Amino acid sequence: MSLQNTELAERGISVRAEGSREPQPSPLRRRVRADRVGLYGLLAVAALIALFPLLWMVSGSLQSLDELLAGRSLLPSDLRWDNYITAWVQGDLGMYLVNSVTYTLAAVAGILVVSSMAGYALARLEFWGKQAFTFLILAVMIIPAPAMFLAQYRLLVSLGLSNSRTGYVLILITSGIPMATLIMRSFFASQPKDLEEAAAIDGASPLKIFTRVILPLAKPGLAAVAVIQGLGAWNVYLMALVIFDDNSLMPIQRGLTSFTSADTPQQQILLAATTISIVPVIVFYLLAQKHIVKGIGAGALK
Amino acid sequence: MTPPVLSLARPVGAPRGKPKGKLRRNFVGLLFLAPAIVLIGIFTITPFAQAILLSFQSWDGVSPDTPFVGWENYGAVFVNGAFWASMQNVAVFAVFGFFIGNGVAIAMAVAVNKIGRAQAFFRTVFYLPGVLSVVVVGLIFSSLFAPQTGVLNRLLALAGLGDLQQNWLGDPALALPSVVAVFIWFHWGFGFLLFLAGLQDIPAELYEAAELDGARAWARFRFITWPQLAPVTTIVSLLTLLAALQVFGTVQVLTNGGPGYHTMVPTLQIYAEAFVNHEYGTAAAMSVLFGGALVLLSLLQLAVSARRSRT
Repeated sequence: MSLQNTELAERGISVRAEGSREPQPSPLRRRVRADRVGLYGLLAVAALIALFPLLWMVSGSLQSLDELLAGRSLLPSDLRWDNYITAWVQGDLGMYLVNSVTYTLAAVAGILVVSSMAGYALARLEFWGKQAFTFLILAVMIIPAPAMFLAQYRLLVSLGLSNSRTGYVLILITSGIPMATLIMRSFFASQPKDLEEAAAIDGASPLKIFTRVILPLAKPGLAAVAVIQGLGAWNVYLMALVIFDDNSLMPIQRGLTSFTSADTPQQQILLAATTISIVPVIVFYLLAQKHIVKGIGAGALK
Repeated sequence: MTPPVLSLARPVGAPRGKPKGKLRRNFVGLLFLAPAIVLIGIFTITPFAQAILLSFQSWDGVSPDTPFVGWENYGAVFVNGAFWASMQNVAVFAVFGFFIGNGVAIAMAVAVNKIGRAQAFFRTVFYLPGVLSVVVVGLIFSSLFAPQTGVLNRLLALAGLGDLQQNWLGDPALALPSVVAVFIWFHWGFGFLLFLAGLQDIPAELYEAAELDGARAWARFRFITWPQLAPVTTIVSLLTLLAALQVFGTVQVLTNGGPGYHTMVPTLQIYAEAFVNHEYGTAAAMSVLFGGALVLLSLLQLAVSARRSRT
């Protein structure tokens, strides 16, 4: 799409240059080239600003404490990989990462099941109160977290689910449902109906149609939902802070902060721990980028 | 879209008489929707109602006893200086986060859309901060901003600008701008992605025609890009404004609201009132006031954009 734009822009310019039939088209071309250099320069600066804190984190995580505090250079003089071992062991990162992965997988699985069913119902089935339920799901999205987290905590306490994995995952699933349902609804609405109608003629039950015909074709929609909700669940902080008291249950975000406040770990160790904690999410981001763009677009724009 | 076969399919598919079929259809639809509705009912709507109830009660977070105290909690909120300071701070967050963040987002989206090569690279890099957690961002920037050992101050010294060295997060005048800057660094990529998607949906012919008419870059932006982007701008505005107003983690990890209350924001204030001061009733009153304001703001913005799209 964008490639096409540039080609057209270039063609537009060359058309103009030919049309005016000037002997030397070079000043115009030179200005275009200067614009282009400026554009790339601007983008490069922005990219540097976006990346610098991360690059520095990695660099700092490989320095010794003395070097870090003296701060003579931005790059480590010799690579202290042992910082990572110290961070991993002292910070109990293995435990926190396992917790985070478990919560994220459980939340995404739950969200996919619940929101694909709900999205299908809202897009394809006819039933009593459909309009009202659609409105309800939209309305719920307007309720902000600051208005609720306290009472959610109190509810979990009264259900005996505070400081529990189940309570945390249920909250994660519920907060993901409205957006995911709307994405799935618009996905199902855009699909052709032929196959499910053929299955209905063959006498398949609605549940069978859904699991055998609808879901296998819904992979692109499900992938977009999974990626967006997965990133969201991985990065949840406020609810993890509110719900968990036991270190052994905390996800990595909460684990990192309790590591920070525990008997003052050294800077370079903290940076190494932080680096370790973002490896899964960066790898995931690089692999699943296409779905992220699609999912954010679908969630926000449709 | 649908072929005429469809109209034949219905009677074949539902051969069992009408009333029963209708009942069954309602049942099936509600069954598919039930898990979503049950979860939302229990974990979203119930707490929402409970928050309102709790704002008229006194609770220390542990005891089963939660006596009603009337408007006492609201009275306590109205004389709570920290809460109103936090409201002011979050207004600063919203205004600067909104205009600078979205300004950068739209400028970079236009720039990336314009270049031929390396589009994917810049898109990847620009959204990268957005996939990090608030804790990670907070830890990285606390270390960058550290007064003695932080890289920012050291770079300033290296550049011969030692006079500009600051206690970025500890100075009452600088703490809020510093935290807002981190927030913008963290979040502008979201608007950027949406603006870029919006730009790529604008038909190239429009620009071609404008170019032939001799429209300059600014005119093309003003009369093609900006109006064509309007739907995206509406949704990005709403989402980024709400995100800025609900800021919590970035502040909690960087300054925890300090120095004093200079970077306190409402969500953090509500959290602290409940889990540090154990005044759950007052915290609930704050959350009703602040949450109510956010809901009103969303409704207002939705109403305005609905009217704009109708005209």
